[in-house]
Order: sequence, then structure tokens, then C-alpha cells
Amino acid sequence: MKKALAVIAIFALAVPAFAQSGDTIKLGGTWPLADITGKQGSMAAQLAVEEINAAGGVLGKKLELIVIDDELKADKGAAAFEKLITVDNVDVLVGGMASGVALGQVPVLKKYGKVYVTTGAAASSTVEKAIGADSDWYFHLHPWDYNQGASYAQGWDEIQKKYPSIKIKKIFLAYEEGAFGKSSFDQTKVLFGADKRYVIDGAPFKSAAQGGGDYGAVLEAAKTFKPDLFLWAGWDADALPMLEQAKAMKFNPGIYLGAPPGWPIGFGTSKLSDNVMFYGMWAPSINEISPASKKFYTGFVKKYKEEPATYFAPLSYSAIYIIADAIKLAGTVETNALIKALEATKYASPLGQTITFTPANIIKHQGIKNQKILQWQNGRQEVIWPFESATAKPVYPFPKWK
Amino acid sequence: MAKKRNATILVAVITVAAVVILFWRPTVLIYGLQAAGLYASIAIPMGLILGIVHIVNLAHGEFMMLAAYATFMVCQAFGLDPFVAMVPVALVTAAFGFMIYKLTIRQALKSPELNQLILTFGISIAITQLINLSFTSQTRKMSFDYVSASVDIGELSFGIYNFVFVVIAILMVIGLRLYLTKTISGKAALAVGQNPKGASIVGIDVDKTYGFVFALASGMIGMMGALFITRSSIFPGVGGPFTMKSFCLIAMAGVGNIPGILGASVLLGISENFLKAFRGTRGWADIVFFVLIITVILGRSIKGKKA
Amino acid sequence: MKFKTSYLVAAVVAAIMIAFPTFLGAYPLNVARSVMTYMALAITWDMLLRSGQISFGIAGLFGLGSYASILAVLRGGMDPLLSIVFATVFSGAMAYALGFAILRLRAMYFSITTLALMEIFRIVIHNMHDFSGGPEGVVLPTVIFGGNASALYWLCLGGLFITIGASWFFEKSKMHLALTAIRNDETSARSNGVNIFKYLLITFVVTSAMQGMMGAIQVQSYGFTAPDTAFDANFTLLPLAIALLGGIHSTVGPMAGAVLLGVAAEWLKLKIPYGHLIVYGIIIILVILFMPQGIVGMIRRAGRAAGRAGKQTGANHE
Repeated sequence: MKKALAVIAIFALAVPAFAQSGDTIKLGGTWPLADITGKQGSMAAQLAVEEINAAGGVLGKKLELIVIDDELKADKGAAAFEKLITVDNVDVLVGGMASGVALGQVPVLKKYGKVYVTTGAAASSTVEKAIGADSDWYFHLHPWDYNQGASYAQGWDEIQKKYPSIKIKKIFLAYEEGAFGKSSFDQTKVLFGADKRYVIDGAPFKSAAQGGGDYGAVLEAAKTFKPDLFLWAGWDADALPMLEQAKAMKFNPGIYLGAPPGWPIGFGTSKLSDNVMFYGMWAPSINEISPASKKFYTGFVKKYKEEPATYFAPLSYSAIYIIADAIKLAGTVETNALIKALEATKYASPLGQTITFTPANIIKHQGIKNQKILQWQNGRQEVIWPFESATAKPVYPFPKWK
Repeated sequence: MAKKRNATILVAVITVAAVVILFWRPTVLIYGLQAAGLYASIAIPMGLILGIVHIVNLAHGEFMMLAAYATFMVCQAFGLDPFVAMVPVALVTAAFGFMIYKLTIRQALKSPELNQLILTFGISIAITQLINLSFTSQTRKMSFDYVSASVDIGELSFGIYNFVFVVIAILMVIGLRLYLTKTISGKAALAVGQNPKGASIVGIDVDKTYGFVFALASGMIGMMGALFITRSSIFPGVGGPFTMKSFCLIAMAGVGNIPGILGASVLLGISENFLKAFRGTRGWADIVFFVLIITVILGRSIKGKKA
Repeated sequence: MKFKTSYLVAAVVAAIMIAFPTFLGAYPLNVARSVMTYMALAITWDMLLRSGQISFGIAGLFGLGSYASILAVLRGGMDPLLSIVFATVFSGAMAYALGFAILRLRAMYFSITTLALMEIFRIVIHNMHDFSGGPEGVVLPTVIFGGNASALYWLCLGGLFITIGASWFFEKSKMHLALTAIRNDETSARSNGVNIFKYLLITFVVTSAMQGMMGAIQVQSYGFTAPDTAFDANFTLLPLAIALLGGIHSTVGPMAGAVLLGVAAEWLKLKIPYGHLIVYGIIIILVILFMPQGIVGMIRRAGRAAGRAGKQTGANHE
């Protein structure tokens, strides 16, 4: 019985609570804190808040960021927003990563119509449809899946024009069988297959992140197709094992391209990584061309003693600055004035591009629309497209296996 | 007589099918066997615990994940190869498993089976999240040249490294068979597995046997964890899916039937890769696993009724 | 006498629960919906457990109900409220058909088969892109009751009350005797003329229908679903943990367990944003080790001990 009471006593553990109230402007964010994307995203957002406060705050007040874990679950994400809005009375909402959580949050968001600058959700067929055209309080930074697809199509067109030795006709897409991979494949078929310039084929695989990790069958299908460009849409867990298996099978496409949201620790140190191309939004090499990126990067490493591993860190950092700038411009946190101010956003972001909000297919306020094409060269992630933010020239073709 | 003839026919049918597949789609057989090796070598230690201690260890995959992280750290710090590091890691995992047994599972042995199940569920959450907090969810992978070892037969090139797991699975089955039938402690373990009360009456220390078997199985899965990093990236959730897969394989083989796990794995590995080889059926490769499990279990129950 | 007090307590608790939206904000109501959903699933799982059958298929029927409801609305133009009824009947009918095959299985083999069925449902939904939306899932144009927090709460509460009612009915009727007899000694139950299969089938169909109903309520309240959301393994494992922590073979046990784990999970998350799930896992371990009978079992035992000790009656009741 005493033991049992001791168990119950664990609930009484005194844990420091969040700093509350005072004369601050409150931002409320949800991220998946147990995942590297959300963990570092929330950390980067906190960094931005501290930087802004150190520089005098906003409208003479300090910013305060309240973060709640969405646990990658729709109901938890929705409850978190209910708390931030009704209990913490935050002025602006921020954050987000997975589309599945965003969908669960849509009804709550619509109920309150609070300004939300989101860093997540790419699934247009579900999230953008659910948000709808009338939700003018919804500011979406992350590109939708079709934005990404269109951006890649444009990128490869320009690259082939500039470097005539690079010729792409046949594209094979190995996509993980979940929502991310499936929508990547659908978008690729639509955007690349449209005017018959490209021949597209693809096959699904079960990602190592979901307990799969056998790429034999999918690589066999790719090898038979003999693509000029081989693209895999999966998670970081698939990166090296797939390369190892491709090497074992002597599968040698002209371009070996990946699209994971992040890379495994130490990927660049593997010999196999050299000249692998990939789609992304940010890499440390952008520090060379963007002062904002350099400021973010050094600040992050200094504060947390670790490297930002995915683009969700600079993206969340940008979201805070965009909100702070808009509040300054509006002179208030009142919703309509803030929406007007956000519409005038022009923020030179650490992502190496200036962020403005323009209409997307359905929603009115879409932030970033284009992605970057990058390449691993000597252990570094170099930007090769868009050319204005390029840090290196592409190496082509992908070297033969030794 | 009739039974023997049936068995002969079955073997003949399987051989013919294998030969047909070998010529028609050789990769189905190659990748199927490689997958089977991995499935079996992860499931066998769990089967040992289930067969003797009668506990479904839902933290089975997490034990492997933990060993994988330990191997990763050791290999990076001392520049060791996982095939060397697997020895100390197996020992440490065995000790860890023994500790977990003593501290938690032993306390719940008298409780209903369900308590043990949920206990190991709690352990799996705690281990996963502890690793997540210490190492983040970012994946890690070391790269080794020998993993891409390959063989060319005519037009066909394929990786042979993953056959390592087939060898390990076979060694595990043989090793366990020798242990359980030839050694005193193994015979005692088998007796405890079949009838703990009876075994304790004839003077076998049931608790000690349970502890040893748990440690042995943990050591085996620790060894698998060490080798797992050669083939796969590691992250906190990497073990979870293998727990369920292993559980299913054991049920398909029947509790206590360790060679049967190997057979079930081969059947599943090849059927999965068979579906994966065709455009129309690719997306359905996962389903074959569960359909086969249900078929086998139901088939056995109907057969049991008749007998 | 004893019966009357327990009815009275139940009525008061029910009245308070119905009145929650008048004094609780949107956030506690949202958390309450999560707690009630898991509570209902834990109770239904326990109802079948009273016969000795351990199901691992809760998430499967929950997901099946979710999809039946959302697809009935989207593809069939059904009224959302009616679609919940439809999903309930659909899940029950599915369980009826499957029950003939799988209820002959016992122990682990029954558990594994229910788990495998759940995976089969998930993979089928996953692969029927055009009909089910595939891995990306499907979205409703609007949430039921326009997303009104009180209405959503009452809807979920309604589902929970149906579940509790069924569970109590099973406890008080001859179902209870039959199921307990099957659990304790199937052979003697059979020789005493208990139609084992009939009772198992009724229980399996009823509990599956209610699991589907909770899935339908969830999907209508959030307005979307996807295979990973609907068939989340947590819908299988957490109800088990909840029932065990509260105390199995009863209705109040899973209820207590759901409140304990649900509130603890939410509270821990706010206090320890990074790493709260470690504590969550440790709580499960400690409760199983030190309260093997669950909260209800512990209170009962404490009550008995207190009764024996004489004076300090009920001092330890919390």
C-alpha cells in the first residue's frame, strides 16, 4: 500500500512550469517534440524569440513562446491549440510539421480564426482542401506538394539548358508507400509527364522508418527501366542502405537523386554519398550566400551545441521573424490588422530567399513556393539550383560504382 | 503411410515451385531468402523466451535497438567492426536482459499473463523514449564496403551480404537445438518450458532457469542488434515493427517450435518478394504476411479439431 | 440497499459529466473527448476479456468504423449522424462474419489473428486509392455540428454511455455468468450446457460494433482520417494498458484507468515538453509492478484490510 502511494506520488513531481503572463506578446506553437524536425524547429523558434527580445522586443514588449508537443497525433495537436487559444490566450499561432496533425487541427483553427503562420503540411489534396479559400488567417510557409513538383520541373529544365551534357528523358521514382511518397509520385507524374517530354515510371517500397528497408525489388524495377534520373522519395533511414543495395546490384543511373526531409548523421562522410543529388530547402552551405542563414546557423550552434539537421529549424526561425515584423508593422496583434501586415511580408530568410505571401491553388497566403536542387560534393551539401543561390556546379553523371 | 506420402508430395511441390521461380524470377528467391534470414534471426530469440518463460516480450525490438546503439557507439569510439563488437555487445545485452528480468518481469511472473504483456509494453516505451531524448530521432548509419558485396550471373547482379542473416538464423536454430537437447541446463530449460510446476517438483530451479533463458535470448538479440547496424540505419523506433513481425512468425510456427520459425520466415519472405516482383501486386506485398498467418492458424485449429 | 446507492452514485456522476460543458472550457472538453474515447475502447476490450479472449484488434475495428462512417458521408452522401449508426452496424456485421472463423481460436492464436485482421483492413484501405483516398486519407467538407465544442463532447459522451450501459448490462445479466464460466473452465462450462460459441459471438459482435462506433464518432469530430491515424497501434495497446491499470473484469476499472492515464499523459506533456513519454512508460511499469490488481483491485483490497482493521474505514479511498 505504501509502495502504491509512492507510485501515485510520482504525479506530484515538482517540475518547473512555463513562465506565465506579464506584459508580453504571446506566441503559441505546436511541433512534434519527440521528432528531430519538431524538436529543432521549436528550438530554433525559441532562438528567434530570444534574439528579438535581446534587440528590444516588439512594440516595447517582450515576445513569449509557449510550445506544446503535438506528439504527431491529430487529437493531441487539436487539444494543444485549444489550450493555447483558450487557456494561454496567445496572440498568434505558429509551428506544425506533419500533414496528419494539421488535418486534426483544422476544425479548431477554423472555429477561432486566429492568425496562424505554419511551418508544416505539404499535402494539398487534404490539408489545403480542408483549410479552404476563405481562411485568410492561414499563412502557409512550407511549399505544397504541387509547388515542389513544379519547382523541380522548372529546375531540371533550366539545368538541362545551362549544361547541355545533362540530358534527361526517363525518370524513375522509388517512393515510400505512405502519404509522403504516394503524393510525391502523383505530383511527379502530373508535372513531369504532362507534355510527354519525360517518360515516368515508379514503384513503391516500404521505408525503413516503417519497418521495411528491403530495396531489392524496387531497385530491380528501376534497373529494368534504365532511367536517366532515379529519384527516391523516402526518409533519412533509407538513404545509405538504398545506396549500398544499389551498389551491390550495380544500378548506375545518370542522376541519383533523393528527397528525404533530412539526412542521417554522418551521411557526408560515407564514400557512397558523393555526387548524390537531392531536393531540399536549406543546407549549411547557404551560409556563404545568405547573411541571415549565417546568423541563424551560428546562433543555433552556439545556443544548442548541435547542428540544425533539417530545414524545419530555419523555417521555424523564419516564422517567428515574420510574425515579429508583422506585429511591428501593424502596431497591434489585432487579427485584421495583423493579416494586412503579414500580407506585406518581405523577409530575407535564412533559407536563401526572400519570403512573401502570394496565392496558391486554393489558399490566399502561400509563402515559399520553390525548392532547391542540391548535391553532396566531398561531404558538403552544395546548392546547384536555383542558379542565383548556387554554391557549386553540378557533377554529372553519377560516377560508376567501383 | 498416408501422412508420409503427403509430406513427400508437399516437398516435391515446393521444390518444383522453387525451381520454376528460380529460372523465371531469380531475384524473388534471392531477396526472399535474404528477408527470411533477417526475420528469422530476430524472431528466434523472442520465440525462445515465449517458449520457455511464456512471456510475450513487447520490448523485444527495443532490446535490439538498444544493442544497435551500443554497437554504434563502440564502433565509432574504437574503430571496431560490428562483427567484432557483437561479442561484447551480446554480453552486455545479456546482462541487461537479466537485470530487466530480475527487476521487473520476475516480480510479475505470478500475475496474469496480461500484466507481463503490459509491463513489457511500458518497458518498450521507456527505452524508446530514453534513447530518443539522448540521441534524438535523427537516424545514424555507418557504412561498410563489404555490405555491397555482389555477384554477377550473366545479366543479373545482386547483393550477397544479406545471406549472412540466413547463416545466422540457421546457426541459431542448430545451436539452440544442441543446447536444449544435449546440455543439462538446456534440458532443464525445456522441462521448465513444458511444465514449470512439474520441473520444480523434480528439483529444477525454475527462477534461475527463467533468468538464464531470458539472458541468453537477450544476448542473441543483442548480437543481432550489433549486426543490424551493418544493414540498416538506426533510430529510436527501429525495433518496434520487428516485435510484431516476430510475434506473428512465432504464432505461425506454433509456440515452442523454433525450427518452425525458420520455415515460416522462408514462406513469408518468398511470398512477399513474389508479390513485389509484379507491377500490379507490389502494393499488396504486406498483406500476404497476415493472410498467411491467419490461414496457417485457422488451418491448424481445424486440423486439431478433426484429430 | 447496496444496489440503490450504486445507482444513485452513477446517476450523480453521469449528471455531472453531462453538465461539464457548462463550466469547462474548450480545452478540457477536448482532452475529455480523448479520455472518453480510450475509456470506451478499454471497456469494450474488457467485456470480451471477461470470457478469457484477449483481442488485439481494437484498432482494426476502430479504423473500420472510422472509414465506414467517413466514406458513407463522402461517397454515399449519408447524414453524418446516421453514418455513425451505419458504422456501428457495419463493424458489428463484419465481426459477426469473422467471428464464425476466429472465435474457435484460443489464447495467443486468437490475439494474433485479430491483430493480423487489423493489418489486413489497414492494407486494404491503404491500397484502394480511388475509393478510400489511399495513404493520404480523406477529408470531410465540414465537421459534425459545425465543430461546436459542447456538441462534440456530448456526442462522444453518448458513445461512452452506450458502452458503459452495455458493459453494466453484461455484468448484471446472465451473460456475466456464462462468460465467467468460459474463462474459468471452458470444458466444465461446456459440459454444463453453456453454449460457449453463442456467448462469445454475441460479445464479440457487440464490442466490435461499439469500437466501430467510437471510430465513427472520432472521425466525424475531426473531419478527416488516414490509414495511419485510424489504425494507429495505440488504439490497441493503450486500451489494454488502461484496463489493466484500472483493474480488469469490471466496468469501473477501465474507467479509472482511462482517467488516470489520460490526465497523466496530458499533464506530463505540459510539464515536461521534451521526454514526457519516458515518465509515461515508467508509470505503466511501476503500476503493474506495485498495483498488479489495478487501482480498483487495490482500493478493494485496501477496503477489505480497513474493514478487518475495524475503525479506519475508507481512509485510503481516493
